[in-house]
Amino acid sequence: MPMFQPWIFLSLLAGVVSVGFAIGLYAWVIRQDAGSKRAQEVASWIREGARSYLRRLYTALTLVAVALGIVIAVVFSFDIEHLGLGTLSFSPARGMSMALAFVAGAVCSALAGYMGMTVAVAANVRSATAANESINRAFSVAFYAGAVMGLAMVGLAVIGMSTIYLVTGDPEIVLGFSFGASSLALLAKAGGGIYTKTADIAADLVGKVEIGIPEDDPRNPAVIADNVGDNVGDVAGMGADIFDSYVASAVAAMLLGAALFAGDKLLQARYTLFPLVLCTLGIVASLIGIQFVRVGKSGKPGRALNSGTIITCVIFAVLMTAVVLLGRYNLGVLWAAAAGLVTGVVIGFTSDYYTSSDFRPVLETARVSGSGAAITIITGYSYGLISIVPSVLGIVVATLLSYFLAERAGISGIYGVGISAVGMLSVSGMIVSADAYGPIVDNARGIAEMAGMPEQVIDATDVLDAAGNTAKAITKGFAISAAALTVLALFAAYAQVVEARGVQLVISLRQPIVIAGVLLGAVTPPLFSALTMLAVTHNAFDMIEEIRRQFRERPGVLAGTEMPDYAACVGLAARGALTSLVFPALLAIVLPLLVGFILGPEALGGFLGGSIFTGVIFALLMSNAGGLWDNAKKFIESGEFGGPGSEAHKASVVGDTVGDPFKDTAGPSLNTLITVMSLVSSLFAPVIAAFHLF
Amino acid sequence: MSVHLYLSLIPEALIASMLTPEEFGVYYACGSTKKSRGQAIFFEVDPAFRHPELRVEEGIRRCVPHEDGTPKASIYVSVYRVLERVSLDALQKLYLVTKDGRSLGLDPTAELPEETEKLHLYQEIAPVHPLVVSTLGPREFYDLVVKNPTSLLSLPAVCFVELRLDELARDPERGTVRDLPYANMDHLRDCLIDLKTKTVHAKMVDRVHPAAFPYRMIKSGIFVGNEKQIIYFSLPPPEELRARHYRWWRSVNM
Repeated sequence: MPMFQPWIFLSLLAGVVSVGFAIGLYAWVIRQDAGSKRAQEVASWIREGARSYLRRLYTALTLVAVALGIVIAVVFSFDIEHLGLGTLSFSPARGMSMALAFVAGAVCSALAGYMGMTVAVAANVRSATAANESINRAFSVAFYAGAVMGLAMVGLAVIGMSTIYLVTGDPEIVLGFSFGASSLALLAKAGGGIYTKTADIAADLVGKVEIGIPEDDPRNPAVIADNVGDNVGDVAGMGADIFDSYVASAVAAMLLGAALFAGDKLLQARYTLFPLVLCTLGIVASLIGIQFVRVGKSGKPGRALNSGTIITCVIFAVLMTAVVLLGRYNLGVLWAAAAGLVTGVVIGFTSDYYTSSDFRPVLETARVSGSGAAITIITGYSYGLISIVPSVLGIVVATLLSYFLAERAGISGIYGVGISAVGMLSVSGMIVSADAYGPIVDNARGIAEMAGMPEQVIDATDVLDAAGNTAKAITKGFAISAAALTVLALFAAYAQVVEARGVQLVISLRQPIVIAGVLLGAVTPPLFSALTMLAVTHNAFDMIEEIRRQFRERPGVLAGTEMPDYAACVGLAARGALTSLVFPALLAIVLPLLVGFILGPEALGGFLGGSIFTGVIFALLMSNAGGLWDNAKKFIESGEFGGPGSEAHKASVVGDTVGDPFKDTAGPSLNTLITVMSLVSSLFAPVIAAFHLF
Repeated sequence: MSVHLYLSLIPEALIASMLTPEEFGVYYACGSTKKSRGQAIFFEVDPAFRHPELRVEEGIRRCVPHEDGTPKASIYVSVYRVLERVSLDALQKLYLVTKDGRSLGLDPTAELPEETEKLHLYQEIAPVHPLVVSTLGPREFYDLVVKNPTSLLSLPAVCFVELRLDELARDPERGTVRDLPYANMDHLRDCLIDLKTKTVHAKMVDRVHPAAFPYRMIKSGIFVGNEKQIIYFSLPPPEELRARHYRWWRSVNM
């Protein structure tokens, strides 16, 4: 049983309040007018498609969770503390605890995703209907629905971590919870990403390019799959992704706290628990910050979302300062958390610079599109590469600042790095709320179009949608940076766990075994990206054939006299996504184990380092380049550089299509990939330390 | 089921059909299983119209429902020199059909729009379809091409549309392009500059330009004239199009 229980209970309470608030907001959203019969009918197609996908996904995940749970229960039933040192004991209670924690992590992550998506598919039509009344009303419906996801996510995460730590007092068991959450996140994010882009690309290529029908036109057989994809990819997938990073960052810091302060039980208890203190304060700040998110007289939803984020960060900073000073924590943790928080916000807004049509990169890419698709691709790709620099600099600054400020304050530097990741992610409640708002208003726009709502509704949802795109871009930058800091902390935690077993870990580039690990780690993110993007192209090819078949064999579909078979495309996207993600997901779990067991813990250290470096670079490149191409196309469509139908527009459409799997499939999934690999390594570190070939 | 007569401009053809104009628009633009599709522009022609060199009567006679009772979609009466043979008095509505089959019907009017610019861009739709810039307004351009040609080139009838030039109409050297989607913009600018600096009234921008054009670029409407008269089909302003013909408006703006 851990010491300083008041904070655990406060964490637990904060988690419960957060989930309770989410349920309250859900009830409020559900009470809003669901609109006309036609609007409800369209929304029901999206809802059913999303539920059917989630049913399939969670069925598959249950099997994965049970299988992995059994493996974990067996492996961790052996007293690994003494493996390799000549003693071996059997402790099924520990194995069961670890397995249960793993399953709890998976269940909490799934539950958060399920809650988020349930409210999203109910809020889309209500937001569209509210837009008939006013843009403010429509914004509130969409944002509060997004907040259900944000608050449920942080609430369930904190409840899970607090409960496990309260019951076991062992942060390594909480690591099992994190591994469960990450495993599910990887599958949910990659699967959702493959689903959403399969549907999006197929719908666009046949609908827009071949046939010439507009976006969200109900005659397109893939239009419902496209809208379902927004939910499974951007709501459930992104929610699971941040849930994973949120939990992983806290657990990494808890592990470091437990290991680095092992000499002093009091300090160990204080600093092991401190990440949960930050999470608690983050929840409080998010709950307050959400109240400030109002469109107001400005009529600018983007400004409202950004203000909410800034206010939440300020409140969090004030609360954190008060707790650190009053609780007499070492000031190093304050500086470290502040460094992480500020860097997260700065990196988020830097992503906005590279993907917003208000700034040069997008404008320049749109301008050169008149010279053809090749120039569009080269320009966007180049800016995507440049966009890596400020984010990486931010990560470097946050890492060094948190390390040296913590050291200077007399606390472990590496613990400071872990705390900076927690600081960055502590306001996830607000960040995810703003992010989940995006796909809801995107869906609202589609429903307004498909249900034939008046032009003022479509105008209002257009404005709301634009703000949602910016929020999505900010969140992606934030998520990637947070994942980078998290895995750095996990990397340190891995080293601590290995060294705690008496193995001296020397990760030097002068060792060929480490170089081998680095190289193997470095190729994993590109390989994973390629596999997920190939899954998109493969599945999109099948769906394109299906859409063409429907148009060819049933002329009434295009004539508007016959309903398309939406379910066929929804089914294709779901089946394709679930079957395609098996191999990439296996890679994430199996590769680190193979490297560890064959090449040893030092090579595995190198492997993690290599994967972190290329993972962060690829994730930033693909997310930002994809967002940039998307907005360059939108900018041209707004009536610049020739407008719709021009050569520049055709080139920008090619860029956007290339960028789609970049920004919504491969790029964001890499965060989860590197987190899962780091967690697998940390979790199995004791076993690997004991058993390895080299 | 009654039989309609349609004068298609892309390609130029006289067609008998049992479909209503909107149905015909969908059929003609979206194609059937034969996969022929694309933007369509056609006039609804008075069913009483007859011409000695067009076998209209025979076409109407052959336009009977299919064996399963479905209406006959098209019987081509003629695909050659049709526009010049159809009396403009027989033209009823003009239908602009998007690639995805959304139709907009325009009524004819004898009153032509007022000229406000000194430079104009014309897309001839039928019987030939070059892209031309001119210093002449629509009526003078029609005179030049059909009624009083000043060169060896003349047409017995013409259907054309004036396309937007926006700032280029006032300042071809420096005017911004914004949402003008025309290919080879530098050449277009050169042609417009030539009109300002040389003593010519019209200049060919593109000899073999596709007859299809982006509807969103229509400046005022479509003109059709023969040696007797010119009539004009005015396009409603964008606000009205968006408010009253949203589906069509959205399809032309993608």
